[in-house]
Amino acid sequence: MEYEKCYVFKPEDSRPVKRRKVEPQGLQSSWNLRKEAYQEAWKAQQDRIDERLRTINATTINGILDFLEEAASNATEIRIPTGLILAGPNSALRTSIAAQISSHSDTTRRRSYIQISSSSGSNLKSLLKTIIQKATSRAVEDDEDELDDQPASRKGGPKLLNYDLELLHLHVQERRIEQVVIAIEDPEACDGELLSELIELFSYWQDRIPFVLFFNIATSVEFLQQRLSKTAIKHLDGRVFDAAVSSDEVEQVFDALTTSDTSLWIGSNLSTMILDRQSDYIQGIESLVQAARYAYMSHFYANAVSISLSPSLALKDVTAQYLEALRNLPSFRTFARQLLDNGDPGRLRDLLDRDDKAFEFAQNSVREGKEALAEILEATEVVRSLQITIPNTTASSKSRMYVQAMSGKLAGSPMLRTLLLTLRKAPSDTAINVANALLERKTPRDLIDELSPIVREIEALIKDQDDKAQPLRSEEDVKNSTLRTTVIAQKVELSKQKSALSKQDAAYTTIIRRLSDVLETYFAEKLVNPKDLTLHEIFLYDLKSPFREVFTPRPRHAVERALAAPHDYLDCDCCGPDHGDGDDATLASTQPSTAVLYQLYLESGNMINASDLWQAFQAVVGDSQDEQQVMAQFQRGLAEMRYLGFVKNTRKRVDHVAKVAWRGL
Amino acid sequence: MGLSMLPDELLLSLSDQWPCRDGQLKQLAALLSPTLPSPSTLVVYGPRASGKSGIVKSYLKNSALDHAIVRCRECVTGRHLLEKIIGEVFDALHSQHVNGDTESHPGRCENLSSLSVHLQRLLEKRDKFVLVLDGVDKQREAPPTLLPALARLGEVIPQLTLILIVRNPPPRFLHQPGVPHLQFPPYGRTQSIHIVSRKPPDIFLEAPPDDMDYDDETHEEDKAWLWPRFCAAVWDALAQNAARDLAAFQDACHKLWRPFVAPVIKGDFGTRDFSRLVVAQRRLFQDENVLLDSIISTPNGAATLSKSKTHELPYYAKWLLVAAYLASFNPTKLDALYFMKSTEKKRRKKGGGVSRSGGRPSQVRKIPRHLLAASAFTLDRLLAIMHAILPDDIRTTIDIYKQIATLSSLRLLVRAGGIGSSDPLEPGGKWRVGPMVTWEHVQSIARNIDFNLTDYVAD
Repeated sequence: MEYEKCYVFKPEDSRPVKRRKVEPQGLQSSWNLRKEAYQEAWKAQQDRIDERLRTINATTINGILDFLEEAASNATEIRIPTGLILAGPNSALRTSIAAQISSHSDTTRRRSYIQISSSSGSNLKSLLKTIIQKATSRAVEDDEDELDDQPASRKGGPKLLNYDLELLHLHVQERRIEQVVIAIEDPEACDGELLSELIELFSYWQDRIPFVLFFNIATSVEFLQQRLSKTAIKHLDGRVFDAAVSSDEVEQVFDALTTSDTSLWIGSNLSTMILDRQSDYIQGIESLVQAARYAYMSHFYANAVSISLSPSLALKDVTAQYLEALRNLPSFRTFARQLLDNGDPGRLRDLLDRDDKAFEFAQNSVREGKEALAEILEATEVVRSLQITIPNTTASSKSRMYVQAMSGKLAGSPMLRTLLLTLRKAPSDTAINVANALLERKTPRDLIDELSPIVREIEALIKDQDDKAQPLRSEEDVKNSTLRTTVIAQKVELSKQKSALSKQDAAYTTIIRRLSDVLETYFAEKLVNPKDLTLHEIFLYDLKSPFREVFTPRPRHAVERALAAPHDYLDCDCCGPDHGDGDDATLASTQPSTAVLYQLYLESGNMINASDLWQAFQAVVGDSQDEQQVMAQFQRGLAEMRYLGFVKNTRKRVDHVAKVAWRGL
Repeated sequence: MGLSMLPDELLLSLSDQWPCRDGQLKQLAALLSPTLPSPSTLVVYGPRASGKSGIVKSYLKNSALDHAIVRCRECVTGRHLLEKIIGEVFDALHSQHVNGDTESHPGRCENLSSLSVHLQRLLEKRDKFVLVLDGVDKQREAPPTLLPALARLGEVIPQLTLILIVRNPPPRFLHQPGVPHLQFPPYGRTQSIHIVSRKPPDIFLEAPPDDMDYDDETHEEDKAWLWPRFCAAVWDALAQNAARDLAAFQDACHKLWRPFVAPVIKGDFGTRDFSRLVVAQRRLFQDENVLLDSIISTPNGAATLSKSKTHELPYYAKWLLVAAYLASFNPTKLDALYFMKSTEKKRRKKGGGVSRSGGRPSQVRKIPRHLLAASAFTLDRLLAIMHAILPDDIRTTIDIYKQIATLSSLRLLVRAGGIGSSDPLEPGGKWRVGPMVTWEHVQSIARNIDFNLTDYVAD
């Protein structure tokens, strides 16, 4: 061994094969099927979302493209044409706009797109390097074969310095580029001086390199202007573009997520949570998409019965365990109870005993459930169209309506009742508007079939009307009744008096009552609680907890809780709840030293005397142990507290540590 | 004189191109004559927009001297400048002599000594070469020895004449006596007006209808009559105090011209009613906004930026910002008074019971806090204040920290100085609100979230 510098381990034989379960068993065996089902379902969803997002910013993009075109056609050489895109603090929107602009490059103009951000460089030199590198490495068009990709340099001379804009100039000349578009993603985060210098430098080269600048503004134009130097501002010729408002975007994407042909529906609890988070904290649309995607994944990956969502599922694909799981679903049990109550035990027996029947039943219920959900969605649209057409009502947003409908509370909601009451009081011109708006929707079929005769009748009434100036009035309209006061024996009596209604008005009243009754029955029929649908567990996903744990973790709370109640995490016998009084703030010598220190820390004031802390610690941990060992524990615990950011050294008093973090923030 | 200097007609055409600069042109012609020896270094100086670069450039172009012009402002580093000098000199020498004798490019030029070697080699066979360094005093990252070394290049290379164009040279900035300086003084009132009024812009953008009997010739006459008077008025009103250099003056004139002649186009005034026009449009000459620059150019000349649309922050980001403002502008010792829920009723009264009517005003003049600079606070104080002012409890999740990160990337929250301020993980790190977060701004945000800010601000 002495001659060897190091020991080389030479194993005698190959490693023993691990006895792993490679093949999934039981319910897990449907894993591949579920994965495929997920991919299929999500792909359809993603395509819809992408489609929506493409159209959202279409007007802004077109405006920007026109601006580019204009800047290219009348180049001034004095001021740099600058687009100021007001995108808000939404980083995703900025990048999507920039990407869309660069993807829209038409063939008539040769443009070079460069995106830089505050992280591209901390000084002028590195920023220029990045810009030049990005500009010259990207080919403008692929079909230019005759232009080989040699590094641009001066003829016969040495290579230019890599931050020399001359390189960009040569590249522009060589490729006959008409515009160099530089998009600065986060001008707020860039150093103001650096940005000003960059702009000044660009303006010096503007006569040779046709620059166009884009700023993505998160706060306001004034803010940018305050931070730039006067010379830099002089060189900019700006135009403001307004990008789509974020809340509108959320609506659009959420709408795309809940079209009638989605395979998995997101329940009310989860969607409330996602939407609230969207408005409270984030303005990026991608987090909404991610949340939906995560919901899909958790449903398909964790729930074995989700294979029923795969459209091409056959009986031979499923296992016995799957059917067993199906039969144990709560909604199946309710259904079975119903069958028994209805006196149909034979059917239930079939479902329980025969696999093919059970499978068929599952497929049918999933299909019916989805249809029912689509009808719910349609009904919400009918409500919305009522809200839009009836005057003096505010239309709720689609997403809020969806959440309400999915919670099953829309059917008896006060909002719906008021809406129908208002309809009953409405005069004929409003009623005809409402009915026509519903007819124009062309769906749902059965509602339309019932509505069209009513509409015809109203129209006929209006045609026969004597006084064309006034619309027909409904009996229930408050305006039609007058309040009459009579004083009899020093008592005031109030009596309502219906004003005389014409014959046509009376006829109209019956019709409008019929209309509202038709709608009411329609809503009552369609707006069922999705949780009452049979086998809703398969096509409805409404679990809060994985989303909450994954997307909104609480790091600080977790650390504080772990230190305050170490037993919950360690699950040791020594300091269980029976040991103390049961509340979490008990001190015990068996706890980890950091946890003990933390609890002492919580009781102390702003400045903690290290010696006092040591004595308290020693009192808790006990004198029985060796003092040196306790000291080591103390020091280690204090060092950990410092590492976690609870205490820090202070210059005010040398023998103290300062408290930095308070609990519960 | 005619032999040694440029032909007179050339000088005449130059002085026609650059009016009010005859003296400087003659001096240049004397110093940089093609035949007579020239000083090895010449400093051309003068304030902004006084024609230094333009005159030197057109003089050299017309005088058929071998020359190269390097614009120092385009060079990012000192090294870049040296490389550029060599490149430009090489190009200048080889663009004129395209016949076969191609010398190879001298190669890299890392420092000043290699610059002098390269220049010596390049200029070996020439008898006179002029190198212009435009704006060399504004060179970025220039080595401290750059200017003195450049000034001595002529001692090593007798063929070279170096022209340094600078704004205002400090005394002895070249560490060398006897360098000729040529001053370009700023243009005076008459000169400025004369130069600007040489090219009058149109009064009518589109031709007036035919029945008005107004042809192009009268239009030319009218604008040549009106424009100089207008320029003089602009100079007297605004430019003589605030826009003295020619470029700014010209800019102001062009910005104000269209609103100024708007009544003429409308037909309220004739083209020669100058005095009435000035009286009617005196608001234009009183408004100083025209002197401010703005990124967005507004068509009516005045650079007023309308309250531009801004996108809103998320709900909790607004609360965070308000809390940060309070943390920055309220003293820490009053926190218990303002933010503890129990003391809400017993706020201290203003004035502390001292009668205000009599007595002298206090010797210590108190500046309102919101006019002072923002003071630093720790993150925990910010979070605590936010919890105190929020109408309902929130679950502190990672989203709040994300909002803090967003606000700091927007520079609405900035890291305050101190030890370890560069490390965001430093325990007890200090923050403060950004310079954009003003009292008005925060108040509008507070109104938006229905929070009565004045109740919580210490005065």
